[in-house]
Amino acid sequence: MDDKIAIKVEHINKKYCKSLKRSMIYGIEDIGKNMVGLNANSGKLRKNEFWAIDDVSFEVKKGETLGIIGANGSGKTTLLKMLNGIFWPDKGKITIRGKVGALIQIGAGFHPLLTGRENIYINAAILGMTKKEVDKRFDDIIEFADIGDFLDTPVKFYSSGMFVRLGFAVAVHCDPDILLVDEVLAVGDEGFQNKCFNKIGELKKNGTTTILVSHNMHIISTFTEKIIFLNNGNAKYFISVAEGIKEYTKLFNEKKDLGIEKICTGNDKIKFHDININNRIFFPGDFFSISMEYDSIIDYDEADIDIAILSSNELAIYFQATNRAYNKIINLKNGKHILDVKIEDIRINNATVKIAIAIWAKNRSELLFWWRIPVEFNGVAYSTGKNFLKVLYKVK
Amino acid sequence: MNKNIVTYEPNNSLKKGYFSIFGEIFNELIKNRWLTYQLFKRDLFAIYKQSFIGFFWVFIIPIISVGTFIVLNRAGIFIIGDINVPYPIYAILGLAFWQLFSTGLVASSNSLVKAGPMITKINFSKKSLVFASTGQSIVSFLIQFILVLILFIFYGFKPNIMILLIPLFIIPLFLFTLGFGFILSILNGIMRDIGNILAILMTFLMFLTPILYAKPTNGLLASITNYNPIYYLISVPREIILMGTISEWKGYIISGIRSIIVFIVCLIIFHLTETRITERI
Repeated sequence: MDDKIAIKVEHINKKYCKSLKRSMIYGIEDIGKNMVGLNANSGKLRKNEFWAIDDVSFEVKKGETLGIIGANGSGKTTLLKMLNGIFWPDKGKITIRGKVGALIQIGAGFHPLLTGRENIYINAAILGMTKKEVDKRFDDIIEFADIGDFLDTPVKFYSSGMFVRLGFAVAVHCDPDILLVDEVLAVGDEGFQNKCFNKIGELKKNGTTTILVSHNMHIISTFTEKIIFLNNGNAKYFISVAEGIKEYTKLFNEKKDLGIEKICTGNDKIKFHDININNRIFFPGDFFSISMEYDSIIDYDEADIDIAILSSNELAIYFQATNRAYNKIINLKNGKHILDVKIEDIRINNATVKIAIAIWAKNRSELLFWWRIPVEFNGVAYSTGKNFLKVLYKVK
Repeated sequence: MNKNIVTYEPNNSLKKGYFSIFGEIFNELIKNRWLTYQLFKRDLFAIYKQSFIGFFWVFIIPIISVGTFIVLNRAGIFIIGDINVPYPIYAILGLAFWQLFSTGLVASSNSLVKAGPMITKINFSKKSLVFASTGQSIVSFLIQFILVLILFIFYGFKPNIMILLIPLFIIPLFLFTLGFGFILSILNGIMRDIGNILAILMTFLMFLTPILYAKPTNGLLASITNYNPIYYLISVPREIILMGTISEWKGYIISGIRSIIVFIVCLIIFHLTETRITERI
């Protein structure tokens, strides 16, 4: 194997069993065969089995940082566990050069009744450190964990953040050549997360190869140089991080229904019939306009018009305002008229969003109109993140 | 840079051949001595941590169990047979050896299951886990041994000087325990039935083995005892302490050799199959 390669994965497969009873039978069968020196023929699927990892190959060079992304259940943790040697491949071959440190679940070896100090020694031993190494690094570990007086308190009384601090502190101080990090840092507060990423950066500078699993695309795009995108056990390899992230985000958008949700289009006094939007696909900086033709038999003075831009899962709000925010009074007069609304200079990058429009009668006494329109914003090359802002550069 | 290279592929050990296995196992055990000790310490401390009387629990359990048998004996429920020493000494000593086997076996067969969440998250030597789990049975053995010494003083009984050789004479028993512990821990990892059966079976086995009574001279139990490997492994060390003689050399040596074979074979099987256990546990 090339000296510069830290991890080499060649066509690996891993199968899981969906049924507990069958898993027991297969387990006995496989172990029985191994006991007497027979090949367990692990490359074939039996009933109720499926490939959790299917023909994945890649290489990671020494000092490189690789991100692994994918939806829940796509095989990220399984892949990481295989790199760590917890699970062995059923097909293919993994070659690892150097000492592996894995943060698959922080504090997995902690005993709740033992104190932080006692647990440091035990956890370090489980992670493969020798007594001499722990003695040498003990002060560094405590300093990094920064849990103060709690060092001599049983860890069952720790907050989840302190637990993670201690666990991470031990794990990074075993000086791994290859560091595997599963989505584990989410629990720590911001200060500690920064500390962790600084530490990962420091290890990287010293030539540590890092593999990072995360759902946080910000972390992925900041720290990784290459990406593996896992989808149902299959892997796609990206040299460009932005490309990989784009593929990942697409995964969730494609599943969403692109249809417009019409929750309300009027009542017996007012009807909105002809609605036109300027586009469904945008680039950052574009404007969005909608014109709504209505027919009303009464005046709706001082109507409220809500506009919002939501993420496709409707959890995040990119923008939300009513006409009051712009000191604008809208009077919808009776008869046939057109209401135009225009949102200018939308700086959303690489996302499928919903533009929501709601029209209320005065004092929100009645809902007159409510639409949600999914639209897509393309991504700008060399830019990740949800916004693409205008940036000016100048050399003085 | 010349770092050690590790490869993972199916049937790894089979490809390397059986002979390299011995070296691998040996190196792994040597390398993980400190880990084994830490795991042992973890189990030991954890048990007595959240309790008021703490470590004294180790004494209380054997005292109560032996006390039960003394009461049963006084009441005449138990026919003990012909023994030349005070019964409590005979019983506690026998129990001490028995518990080295039974608690050791139960603890080691549960060791992988108990550490399940840990072994699916961290890659470390699973042999150390099994080894460490039997450590506790050694601790409780030592404590029961202290109880025996107290009884010696109480009854004014002078043990034979051969008592000093006891550490040597319990090795076969310990290897026998560990060997089965290795196999059962793997099987228990796959199907929990093993652990449940074992807990029930242990009580039955204890009454089947002449530990709290003398070896019967005739009848079904006598012939069963002749083929009971644990009997020799326990009765001989006890005889050495109490009499300084060994009346059943042959049985002891055969059982001893059997123990060593059991230990080696089971350790190899464990080594070959331990990579499969994490995905089933």
